Amino acid sequence: MSNTATRIRIAGAVVAAAASIAGLAACSSPAPSGDAAAAAPAAACEPAKGNVTLQYWNTVPGMDQVVALWNKNNPNIQVEMKNISNDQYGTIGNALKAGKAPELAQVGYDELPDLRTQNAFVDASACADATAAKSKFVPWTWSQTSFGDTGVFAFPQDTGPMALYVRSDIFKKHDLEIPKTWDEYAADAQKLHDADPNLSITFFDPNNAEWFNGLLWQNNAEMYGYAGDKWHVTVESDQSKQVAEYWQKLIDAKLVRTDLAHGSTPMYAAYQKNQIATYVGAAWGYSMFRDNLPDQSGKWTIVPMPTWGSSAASGDWGGSTVAFMKGNTHLYESVKFNSWLNTDPEALALENKLGGLYPAATAGSALPALAEGVPYYNNEKIFDVFADSSKNIDTSFTWGPTQKTVNLALQDALAKATAGDGKLADALTAAQAAALKSMQDQAIPAVAGN
Amino acid sequence: MSNQTAMRESRVSRTAVMALMFLLAIYFLLPIYFLIVAATKPQGDLASTFGLAFSHFDLFKNLGTLFSRSDGIFGRWALNSVIYAVLGAAVGTLISALCGYALAKFKFRGREFLFSVILGGVLVPTTALALPLFLLFSATGIVNTYLAVFLPSIVSPFGVYLARIFTAAAVPEEILESARLDGAGEFRTFFSVALKLLTPSLVTIFLFQFVGIWNNFFLPMVMLQKESLFPITLGLYEWNGQTARVSLLQESVITGALVSIVPVIIVFILLQRFWRTGLASGSIK
Amino acid sequence: MTDIATRGTRVVATTGGRSRHNGGGPRAGTIAAFLIPFFLPFVLFYLVPIAYAIGQSFLVVRRTGGQYGTSYTTFGGFDQYVQVFQNTEFWSSIGRIGLFGIVQVPVMLFVALIMALLLDTPLLKLKAFFRIAAFMPYAVPGVIAAIMWSFLYSPQLSPVVDLLKAIGLQPDFLGPGAVLWSAANVSTWLWTGYNMLIMFSALQAIPQELYEAAKLDGASNWAIAWKIKVPIIAPSIILTTVFSIIGTLQLYAEPAVLRQISSNISSTFTPNMLAYAVASGNNYQQAAAISVVIAVITFVLSFGFMRLTSKRAGL
Repeated sequence: MSNTATRIRIAGAVVAAAASIAGLAACSSPAPSGDAAAAAPAAACEPAKGNVTLQYWNTVPGMDQVVALWNKNNPNIQVEMKNISNDQYGTIGNALKAGKAPELAQVGYDELPDLRTQNAFVDASACADATAAKSKFVPWTWSQTSFGDTGVFAFPQDTGPMALYVRSDIFKKHDLEIPKTWDEYAADAQKLHDADPNLSITFFDPNNAEWFNGLLWQNNAEMYGYAGDKWHVTVESDQSKQVAEYWQKLIDAKLVRTDLAHGSTPMYAAYQKNQIATYVGAAWGYSMFRDNLPDQSGKWTIVPMPTWGSSAASGDWGGSTVAFMKGNTHLYESVKFNSWLNTDPEALALENKLGGLYPAATAGSALPALAEGVPYYNNEKIFDVFADSSKNIDTSFTWGPTQKTVNLALQDALAKATAGDGKLADALTAAQAAALKSMQDQAIPAVAGN
Repeated sequence: MSNQTAMRESRVSRTAVMALMFLLAIYFLLPIYFLIVAATKPQGDLASTFGLAFSHFDLFKNLGTLFSRSDGIFGRWALNSVIYAVLGAAVGTLISALCGYALAKFKFRGREFLFSVILGGVLVPTTALALPLFLLFSATGIVNTYLAVFLPSIVSPFGVYLARIFTAAAVPEEILESARLDGAGEFRTFFSVALKLLTPSLVTIFLFQFVGIWNNFFLPMVMLQKESLFPITLGLYEWNGQTARVSLLQESVITGALVSIVPVIIVFILLQRFWRTGLASGSIK
Repeated sequence: MTDIATRGTRVVATTGGRSRHNGGGPRAGTIAAFLIPFFLPFVLFYLVPIAYAIGQSFLVVRRTGGQYGTSYTTFGGFDQYVQVFQNTEFWSSIGRIGLFGIVQVPVMLFVALIMALLLDTPLLKLKAFFRIAAFMPYAVPGVIAAIMWSFLYSPQLSPVVDLLKAIGLQPDFLGPGAVLWSAANVSTWLWTGYNMLIMFSALQAIPQELYEAAKLDGASNWAIAWKIKVPIIAPSIILTTVFSIIGTLQLYAEPAVLRQISSNISSTFTPNMLAYAVASGNNYQQAAAISVVIAVITFVLSFGFMRLTSKRAGL
C-alpha cells in the first residue's frame, strides 16, 4: 500500500514536472501584432535621480584606463567594464537571450545588422545629444550606426582603414621596390621566395573572415543589398572571385603561409624570426606590432594597400561602434559617456595610444598624436597613410543580417581550401549558400543575386 | 623450463616492463614539466628559448604579476573554483549518498525504474544540458550568479550509482536491523551507522565530483558573464583568448595554469588511498 | 526503452539491497525524504532542461515587418530535425568523432589496461610513482591541458617540434590530417590514468587465491593476466568504454582551444561545437535539435555497447 503510494507519488511528481515544462517549452512566443512589430519606438531620455552605474563591454586593450579616467571625473555616472575578447558576440548573444545585456557594448560594423535582427539595440534618438552627434562622425560610420538615419543605435568608435605594413630592411636587402598594385605584390612575393625559401611575403589566415571581407570591400565586392522588401545576397560575385583567385594563386605557389592564426603567438614568433616580410593590416594593428615585436622597432614602414589596377580603392578591416543595448534604462547617462568616449580628444588620444584605435570621430584626425611621427615606425607619419586610405573606402558597403553565421561558414570553407580541399573561390559559394540558408532559418526574406 | 631460463626471462621482461613504464611516465609528466619550466620564464623567453630548459628564473615575479593583474582577479577565480568544487561536491555527495542508500536498502515499487532513470542520467551528455539550462535559468533570473553554476553541479547521477553499489557492498543488513530494533529512525540509522561504514566510499564520490566541478568549463562559460564569478578554468580561457592583442598575458596564462593544478595534485597524492579503497570496495563487478 | 535500460544496466550494477524482512519497510514519507534531496535537483537540472530542449526543437522562427523585423517562434513539427539530418556539416562532425572514437578509445583503454596489469604484477618497482604519474593529468582541466598541448604542438614554440626537427623530421601537429589525432592525444593524455585506476582497483579486489592455482601449474604472468584477470575485470573495462564513448561524443573544450591556433579545426569540428556555433548564430531551436540528436546517439551507442558485451560475456 505505502509502496504503491510512494511509487505513484514519485512517478506523478516526475511526470507532472516534465509535462508542465514540455508545455512551457512548446508554448511558443506569440507573434507581435500590427505596427508594433516594426521598429521599436525610441525610448525616453530622462536623467536618473541618483547615481548610476553603467556596464560597458569591449575588447579594446587598455580600455580600463580610459574608463578609469571617466570614473574619476564623473562620480555620478560610474562605468564598469568587462573585456569580452574571447567570444565577443557569443557573450553578447547569450546576455541578450538572458535579458542581461550591458547598457553599452562594443559591436563591429559588420555585426550591427545581425544584432539589429535580434532586436539587440535601443534607439537613443530621444536624447538630443544623440541625434546631434551625427555631425561629429565620419559620414559612412554614422550611416551604419543609424541604419540610414532611422534611429541612433550606436556611436561609431573607430575604423580600420587598411594599409600595407612592410619590413623595409628585408625589401632593401633583396633589392625590391615596395609594391603599389596587387600584381606587383605577387611578383615581389615570388622574388622573396626565390631568394629565401623560408621567407614569405605574408600569411593568409583562413580563420579570419573579417580580414578577408576587408579585401573584398576594397574590390567593391558588395556582399548584400536590400531592395523590394528583400535582402539580395551577392557574396559570390565576379569581384569577390577575383580576390579569391588572386590569393589562391599565391597559396598554390606556396608564396604565402597558411599555418598562422592572426594575432597568435606563432604568428608573432614567425615575424620575430624574420620569416614574413609584410602584413596586410588595418590602422589599429599599429600598436600590435609596436607592443609585441619591440625588437623590430625602426624596421617597419607603412604604405598604402596594394591596389587593383589603377583604382585607388582601399579596404576597411574591423573598426567598431559602441551600441546602446536592449534593456538600457539609463540612456541619458549612456549617451553622455558614449559621446565622451568617442569624441573627447583626451579619451580618443588615450584609446589611440593604448588600444591602437583610429577614431571614427572627425575631430580625431586633428588629434596631435595622429599628426606626429610614430617612433616605432621610424618617426614616419603613419596616420597620414591611414587617413588617405580612409578617404578611398567605398562608403556604401553593406553587411548582412546573419553576418556571424556567414563569417563562420566562410572561414570553415577557406580553411578547407588552404588545406588543399577545394579552392578559395568555393568558399564564396559556401558562404553564399550559408547566407541564404541562415536567413531562411531566421525567416528573413532573401534572394540570390541583384 | 629450467629455473635459470625462467630467471633470465623474468630479468628481461622486468627490464622491458620498467622501460615501457618509464616511457609512459615521461609521456604523462612531460607536459607538466614543460608547464613548470615555462612558468619560471620571462615572457620574452617563451618563444626564443628551448622549452624544456630553464632560462631566467622569474617564477616569483610571474606569480606577482599573475595575482596582481586586474586588481587581483586571479585570486578571486581561485576562490570561486574552491567554492564551486568543495561546496558542490560536499552537497552532491550527501544527496547522492542518501539516494543511493535508499535505493540499495529500501524496498519499494518503482525502485528499479528510478535507478534506470538515474543511469540514463549518467549517459546524458552534460554539455547538451548547458544551453537549455541556460535559457531556463535566464527566465528565472539565476543566470550570472553563483547559483547558476552551483546548483547544476550538485547533481551527479554517477555519484548515486556509486553510492548504491558501495552501500550494497559495505553496509550489512544485520547492522541496520539491530539499529532499527534499538528504535533508531531511518535517518538516525543512516547518519550514525551507515555513514561511518561508507566513509571511504563517500570520499571517492566526493573526489570524483570535486574534480568534475573543478574541471568544468562549458557550464560556467555559458552561465556566467561577470568576471568576478568565474572559476579558474574560464578565467584562464578568457585570458588565453585575449593574448591575440595583449600577448603579455601569455605568461600569466601559463603561470595561472600551473597554480590551478598544483592544489588538485596535492589533494590527489594525499587522498590517493581513498581513490583505491573506494573504487575497490565498490568495484564495479 | 526502459526495458533495455534495466537490462543494460544489470551489466554493471549489482542488484543490491536484498531486504529480507517483510514487516513493511520504512514509511513512504521516509523513503521520499531520502530520495527527494537528489531527485528534486535531478528533475530540475537534468530532466527539465531535456524536456525544454525537446520542446524548443519543435519550434521554428517566424518574423514580421520591415528590413530587420521582429521574430517570434511557432510550432514547426519535425522541421528542425529534417534540417539536422540534411546538414552535411552535422554528419561530417559525427563521422569525424566516430573515427576519433574508433581509434582513440581502444588505444587509450589498451594502454590503461596494460598499465593496470603491470602495476598488478610483482615485475614492477616504483609502483606508487607510476600510478601517480599516470593519474596526474586527470587533475588538469581539459581547457588547461589543451592550452598546454597547444604550446607543444605549435611549430614556433614547441620543444618537441624542435627536437623532432633536430633528428630530421618535419612534424606538423596542426596540419589538416594530423590535427584530429593531436586532439585525440590530448584526450588520451587526460584520461588514460583515470581509466587505468578504475581497472587497477578492480584488479586489486580480485582475491589472490583465484590465481594461486594457476601459478602452481606454472602459468606465466602473461597467461594469468590475459586468461584470468582480464575476464574478471571485464565489467570495469565495459564501464570505462561506455564513459569514453560518452566523453568522445561530448568533445568540446580541447578542440575549441586548439582552434585558436589551427585553422584546420573548423567551427563545426565536433557535434557539440556545431551545436554551439548554431546557437551563437541565434538559431537556438536548431541547436536544441542537434543536442537532442547527439543525446539519442549517445544513448543508442552506450546501451548498444553494454547489451552487446553483456551477451558476449554471458553476464
